[in-house]
Formats: sequence, C-alpha cells, structure tokens
Amino acid sequence: MTRPEPGQAPPRIAARRIGKSFATPVLRDVDLEIPAGCIHGLVGENGAGKSTLAKIIVGLERADTGSLALDGRPYRPITAAESRNAGVALCAQELSLVDDLSIAENILLYTSTSAFKRIRRRSAHEKAARALVAIGLDAGPEVRVSRLSLAEKQLVEIARALATNPRLLVLDEPTSALTAPQSDRLHAILRAEARRGVTVIYISHRLRDVLTICDRVSVLRDGQVRLTESAGALREETLIREMAGADADFDAGRRSIEGTRPVHLRVGKLRSAALPHPISFDCRRGEILGLAGLAGSGRTELLNAILCLDRRTGGSVTIRTASGATEIRNPRHAIRCGIGYVAEDRARDGIFRDRDLAFNVTIAGLGRVADRTGRVVRARETAAVSKLTADLGVTSTGIDQSIRELSGGNQQRLMLARWLHCKSRLLLLDEPTRGVDVAAKLAIHEELVRLRDSGVAVVAVSLRPDPGVVEPEARRRVSPRHVAPGGHPGGGVQ
Amino acid sequence: MVRFFAENLIVLSLVAIVAFFGFASERFFSITTLSTLLNQLPALTVVSIGMTLVLISGAIDLSVGSVLALSAGVIGAGVVLFGLPVPIAALMGIVAGALAGLANGSLGAYLRLPIFIVTLGMLEVARGLAYLVTDSQTVYMGAKIQAFALPIDGLGMSASFMTALLLVIAFEFLLKSTVFGRQIVAVGSNESAAAVSGIDPRHVRCTVLIISGALAGLGGLMSSAYLGSADPNAGIGLELSAIAAAVIGGTSLMGGRGSVMGAFVGVLIVSVLQIGLAQIGITEPTKRVTTGAVIILAVILDRWRKT
Ligand SMILES: Nc1ncnc2c1ncn2[C@@H]1O[C@H](COP(=O)(O)OP(=O)(O)OP(=O)(O)O)[C@@H](O)[C@H]1O
Ligand SMILES: [Mg+2]
Repeated sequence: MTRPEPGQAPPRIAARRIGKSFATPVLRDVDLEIPAGCIHGLVGENGAGKSTLAKIIVGLERADTGSLALDGRPYRPITAAESRNAGVALCAQELSLVDDLSIAENILLYTSTSAFKRIRRRSAHEKAARALVAIGLDAGPEVRVSRLSLAEKQLVEIARALATNPRLLVLDEPTSALTAPQSDRLHAILRAEARRGVTVIYISHRLRDVLTICDRVSVLRDGQVRLTESAGALREETLIREMAGADADFDAGRRSIEGTRPVHLRVGKLRSAALPHPISFDCRRGEILGLAGLAGSGRTELLNAILCLDRRTGGSVTIRTASGATEIRNPRHAIRCGIGYVAEDRARDGIFRDRDLAFNVTIAGLGRVADRTGRVVRARETAAVSKLTADLGVTSTGIDQSIRELSGGNQQRLMLARWLHCKSRLLLLDEPTRGVDVAAKLAIHEELVRLRDSGVAVVAVSLRPDPGVVEPEARRRVSPRHVAPGGHPGGGVQ
Repeated sequence: MVRFFAENLIVLSLVAIVAFFGFASERFFSITTLSTLLNQLPALTVVSIGMTLVLISGAIDLSVGSVLALSAGVIGAGVVLFGLPVPIAALMGIVAGALAGLANGSLGAYLRLPIFIVTLGMLEVARGLAYLVTDSQTVYMGAKIQAFALPIDGLGMSASFMTALLLVIAFEFLLKSTVFGRQIVAVGSNESAAAVSGIDPRHVRCTVLIISGALAGLGGLMSSAYLGSADPNAGIGLELSAIAAAVIGGTSLMGGRGSVMGAFVGVLIVSVLQIGLAQIGITEPTKRVTTGAVIILAVILDRWRKT
C-alpha cells in the first residue's frame, strides 16, 4: 500500500466497485469516495439499494464484489461490532432498540466494547443523560424504551450512534419520524460533528433537507451511482430526474370539494388516558382530512382511541355503515365497519416480517379471499394481491417473497395495499408516506385522490406537510393545539 | 438437487434413520416393530398437533402430559366406577382436556398471565386431579376400551391410528389453508400488528390452548385404549417429546412458523429412534443422550436450511 502524500489525506471512506445481489442485482460497481468532515447525501428511489449500501458499510451485509477502505486502510467488517470498533456507526432505517430496556441500558449495550465489564450505573446514566440533552430529547435515561414514541425512539437511536464517537456516521432516513424542529436540531448537531472531522452519510427522501445539510450528494439508480455533485450546484428537480431516470411529472392537481357530503365519521368528545383533553371532529365522505401536529401531541393516540386500540375514557366515535350510524366497539369491529388503519410504526404494528407479501396484504381482509367455509382460496388471493402490488408499483420478486426482504418504501406501500384490499370506506393514515420516495408519494397521493373521488373518507396524520402530498388535498386541519395535552379543552376543528 | 435436499430434509432424515436401524438390527423390519410403533404413535401424534399450533401462536403448553393422564383417569373412573358406556366416558375425557385448555387460555391469554407459568401450574394441577379421580391406582378397563387400539379387520390399522392420521391432515389444512390458520400465524409472528389487523390475539391463543387441551384429552383415550387401563402416571415428560417433535418438524419456538405435517414426521423420527435404539440394545442413558443430540441436530439443520 502506498502512503498518502502529505497534505492529501485519503478519503474517510472509499468504496470501490461494490456489487451485491440478492435475487436480482441490487448494487453494481458502486464507487464512492467521501473525505473526512464531509456530510454526504445519498438519495434514490425505493429499492435503489441505499440501505443495502449502508448495511455493507457497517458489516450487516457483505458485498459480493468490490472493496472498502477506511482512512486509506482496507476495511472488511463482517459484524456490526467490528465496524463500531473501527469507528463506524449506523442508524438503521428500521429501529433496533431493545424495547424492554431503559434508554441508558440501550446506549450502554451499543457503546460498550467488552461484554464482561461491570456496569457502572451512575456513569452509564450520566453518559446517557448527556447524549439525550445533546439530541434534545426530554426523557430520563431510566425510562423504558417501550414507553417512547416513534420519534423519541428515533432520537435515542441517533444519540446512541453519536455516543460511540464515530469517525463515520451512517444515517438511514434519520428524520422520517421527526418533526421539523427535531430534525433542524439534528442537522445542527451533524454540522458540528462534521466540523470536528466526522464524516456523515445521510440517506433521506426529504430532498430539501438533503440539499440544505449535505456538502455533496450522490444519486443511486439501478444499482449504480448516477451522479455525485456538490449540493450547492444541485436543485430538487435535478435530483428527482436523476432518481427516476426520466422526467417526473409534478403537477399534482388540487381539487376542492364541492357541496357537502354526508358525514362518515363523527368523533365526539373523545378521551383516553393518553388523550386527556376531549377531541371532536368529523370527516365526510369523499374528503381528505389532514391532522397536522407535532409528534407527541396526541395524533397517534387519537387514532388509537378511535379504533379502540387504546381504552377510551369518554366520548364516542360513530361511523356510517349500511345499517346506519354505528358506534365503534373494538378494533375488529372497526375493520368490519370499513375502517383501515396504517400505523405509524410499521415494524411494530404493521408488517409480519417473516411472511410473504400475500400474507401481509390479505391478513386484515381474509374474508375477501376465502370461501364460505373459511378456506383461503389461493387463486383468489394471488389475483387480488398481484393486482394491488402492480397498481401501487411494488418492486419484488413475486408475491411469495418475504416482506422483510423489501425496501422500506415498498413495505410502506404494502401497508396501504392491505386496506385497499379490504375496500375500506374510511382510511386512518398515520404518516402514510413515511420513507416513500418522491415518485411513490405522488402515486400514493393519486391513489388517495382517486379513493376520495370514489367517496372514501380519509383522515391523514402527517408530521410535515411540505412535500405537498396529503396536505393540499385536505379541506381542513385539526390544529395541533386542540390535540396537544394542555391545549384547548373541548377542542375542535378549524 | 441441493434445493430438493433442503426442502425434504426431515423426511430424508427419517428415511436415513430407518435405513440405519434396518442395517443395525435384523429384527427392525418386523411386525413387532411396526405394531409397537403403531400403538405408541397416536397419542404422541395428537398431542404434538396441539403443541405445534400453540407454539406457532407464540405460546407454549407444558400441561399436555398431565392433561392426558387426567383424561385417562376420567375415562377409567367413568367406565369402572360409574359403569358408563365407553363412548360417553371417552367424550368426558376429551371434555376434561378441553376444560383444562380453557383454564390455561383464560388465565394465560385473557388475564395475560405468563402462559409458560400458567401451563406449568396446570401440569401439577392436572396430574394431582388424575391421581384423585383414580385414587392413585391404575384402573383396569380391559377389552371394552382396547377395541379402539386394535387393528380393524381388513384395514390393518387401528381406529386410534386412523384418527390420528386424519387429524394430522385436518389440522395441516386448518393451519395452511384457512382464515383461522392465518390468524394463528399472524398472532405468533407479530402480536401487535395482528391486533391492528383486526385479529384478537387473546381469542386466538385461548382457542389454540383449548384445542391443545382437547387433543391431549384424546391422547388420554388413545393411551388407555392401548394399555387397556387408565394409568395416572401416563404421559410424564410427554410435553418435551411433543415440543421436540414440533421443533424437529420445523416449528419455531418463537412463534409464527411451523407445520403440522412436519410435526408428524418429527413424531415418527422420535418414535422410530426410541424403538430402534432399544432394539439394538442401547441402554436407557445412552438412548437419552442420542435422542437429545438428534433434537439439537434437527435445529441446526433447520437453521442451515433457512440460510
Ligand atoms: N435480505 C434481502 N433479500 C432479498 N432482497 C433484498 C434483501 N434486502 C434488500 N433486498 C432488495 O434489495 C433492493 C434494495 O433494497 P434497499 O433496502 O437497499 O433499498 P433502499 O434504497 O433503502 O429503499 P427505501 O428507500 O425504500 O428504503 C430491494 O429491491 C430489496 O427488495
Ligand atoms: Mg432503505
């Protein structure tokens, strides 16, 4: 190996001709060089191979071909622990915290290098507390992770990675569950880290964020790096074009709702333990109602209370069915009444990891593919699922592929497919486009508009209305202050 | 080729084990072996079916051996003490098993107590009840009940054995091709996502535990038919054989994956091993070491098959 010339440091991480195939090639000859202290954006459509590349860099997957070098030295991690010891940390797209341990214990588990060192509680807690303050998470280190919201878990995940003092930090969609202020804070931290010489690989579908925070950006398409450019020279449209490989059409039509249609869902003075202040609103047929608000302000809790997933402490939820207005009694009943629910935390409340696409799509509506005796008719199932996956543009090797092998964005599309299969008349969507690429956001958007026009009512909860997806269609918004604890008692709709 | 081996691994292992004993012992391929096998199989088979369903749903049932004995005791007491007709007594035994399953299910699934502990408690409770109903004696019933375990003329198979086979097919169908089967898998694979999909995990687990209890009750009928008597000591350690059979057959202890057909092959492997090892004159301690090693080997092969 030749020594680098003085004054010309080797790149922090260099990937040469990295190739990786699963059933089909995912990465082909990926070349990437990132200098120390650089924040490097990595963008691409769902399934482009971003997460796969990230996993290869931290040793969670192994490349079939090619090599990596870290600060000029050959680097071949085969476990995550090994890469961590080399100073490389990953915040994975699918969170990997241990739910039953406290925040401090999770951080300790991840950062400690020896399994048999005695745990010093005090110092572990102090370390965790420092990390939490830095990231801006208002929770004690002793709090159990299972009690945190998805956004808070994501912050812990990031704090945990930062606590290892990495020289290379790989963030795979770190802000997908964060609010704007939370991600601004993260970005400030990343800039400070970069000034100290830390290199950051930043994977995201929020292109505006990518362009503001990153120094340079690479676009991954068809398993190859199509473009690497300094962020200042790039515009969002360029990125989108490069990602899709063709001109994407951005003209999402706005349409207002004419006339008044019958109220489909009526929520009256609803309360639950997590929702101390009563909430009232209603949603009409053929309407997309946007619920905007801050994370932790009760949006998810509101949806859980509507569905009786959380116990209500007061109020009522009625829905119009063929047999008149019905009060929702339990989650099963809610589904029978035609409600579909895409939960915020896909890994926990959505997917059945080890099962195939078909299982995951039909599980809530097995009655539609079963005969009268309760036997699932394969042919019917195959037909229904194939059509839905084609309509939603899901990339897979077939409907018998395990869902865990799909990229995050494709998994998210299947969550929507589950309720399209049920022909739900009311969709409750908690961040329906989390982790979905721009083109798919538009596709989902169009699908929602189509559903709305066919008379479906949609209640969509979204952290950040900015990419212009659900929000412009929403006729009204429930303001966060009506939902927030400590907000208006007896809140309502603006 | 590799694929073929991987997919039929357990069946091939069974063939290999049978072939091995065929070489090792002249007496292995004989009517005696076959009839021992056919007599022992039914009870373990039906219990393993229940165990497989319970494991797939993400729970466990440690009480099956004792519940089997309880059912046998109820049948014995019914026939001998109360002079009930055998079919009525048999039904009572199965109902007793189902009730034990219901108790497991209501406490474990609905009251959310740890199912492991609840069924461990039931293991003791049912065993105690079995002693109580039989007054701690083996209750002799004789020919009245043995008919169930004797080969039917012209078929060469006992009613007991045919029932077990039919149940394997029926429950494999239930698991793989019905809505309820999907729900069992869903609950075992991700309970919270199942709840969001409109499945009540408590209901599914409770039902599965009732099925397991009833099948253990049926196992009680089968084992007392084979012995001609109700033995309150029957089925000790049976839960472990059933778990082993299920796991050898590819069922995951973490829930969400498994097959009834696989469990049946697992039962065959466990039973053939027992009989074969005894025939080639292996002592009890060595027999145990071998059986244990086979179980572990099966799990290793299963892991290899999946990657
Ligand atoms: N373990 C696996 N087995 C088979 N295929 C896999 C596996 N992991 C990933 N893939 C496939 O590799 C491709 C790239 O996946 P990857 O997760 O890297 O995409 P991504 O760019 O991160 O997409 P997203 O934006 O949706 O997260 C996908 O088509 C996916 O189905
Ligand atoms: Mg990804």
